[in-house]
Amino acid sequence: MKLPSRRVSDEIPTSSMADIAFLLIIYFMVTTTFAATRGLDFALPKDDDQPPVVEKEESVLIEVQPSGDLVVDGRPMLKSEVLDYLKPKLEVNPRKPVIIRPDANAPYGAMVSVYDELRQGADKGVEVRNISIPTQREIDRFWF
Amino acid sequence: MNLHEQKTVPAVIPTASMADIAFLLIIFFMVTFTIEVDKTQVTLPQTVIRQEVPKKAAYVSVTEAGQIRVSDGEQISAPVGSADEVLSFAAEVIGREPTKEFVLKADEHTPYRYIDEVIDALKQARVSVIYLLSSQETKDEENRAGTN
Repeated sequence: MKLPSRRVSDEIPTSSMADIAFLLIIYFMVTTTFAATRGLDFALPKDDDQPPVVEKEESVLIEVQPSGDLVVDGRPMLKSEVLDYLKPKLEVNPRKPVIIRPDANAPYGAMVSVYDELRQGADKGVEVRNISIPTQREIDRFWF
Repeated sequence: MNLHEQKTVPAVIPTASMADIAFLLIIFFMVTFTIEVDKTQVTLPQTVIRQEVPKKAAYVSVTEAGQIRVSDGEQISAPVGSADEVLSFAAEVIGREPTKEFVLKADEHTPYRYIDEVIDALKQARVSVIYLLSSQETKDEENRAGTN
């Protein structure tokens, strides 16, 4: 008696491969958070005991008020006017120091906004090379 | 005469390439996958200039109320009590890796005195570069802010 021979398929079963792959995709999709990973870089000066001597009247002082308004060299100014104000000064001295001094109660966002505006100057033909944001401790130690 | 030879079409959907597509997607998600070390909810300030923050940078986050959390970029962030603790944390990180970048993630409404203390601590710890984490400012928002 001849028994019927069973044919074994010579293919690797790949139909479940996609299921496994999609499970992995779902895992990565659920755990991935598109976190904010961009920001303004800010190079800190070295914490020296003897900082470079800068004549106060040589620099431009931008004060940030608690309301977020700006006072530049004692005059109230809009953020959009700051670069125009700096342009002639920087043409005379490209390394003129610009000091941002936020009030203790000024919102952090206002300081970042001014710093961003100064950094954008490079694209608008007013490159501000020397921006410093002294901390209160440095002001207490070196300014008075 | 029967000219039409009967062809049998297999009733199977070809799924062999499905796995390839799925694996491509997996690779995309694996490459973009970064573990978020700091989950503090803050409203970031908006800026036009935005540089990519280096991976594995250390994080210091400050909420509107002045609560500070720190992370060395590998561990999940932990709360600290004061800026002095930020100094000791940063000094330890810089002692291990002198070129380590720090990211300052702070709420835009945070009073500057809290930020001042943190930046001062980072300066004293001899951190060379910090990144002020921000979200994208659109041109419309910039124009509106400029007219205010």
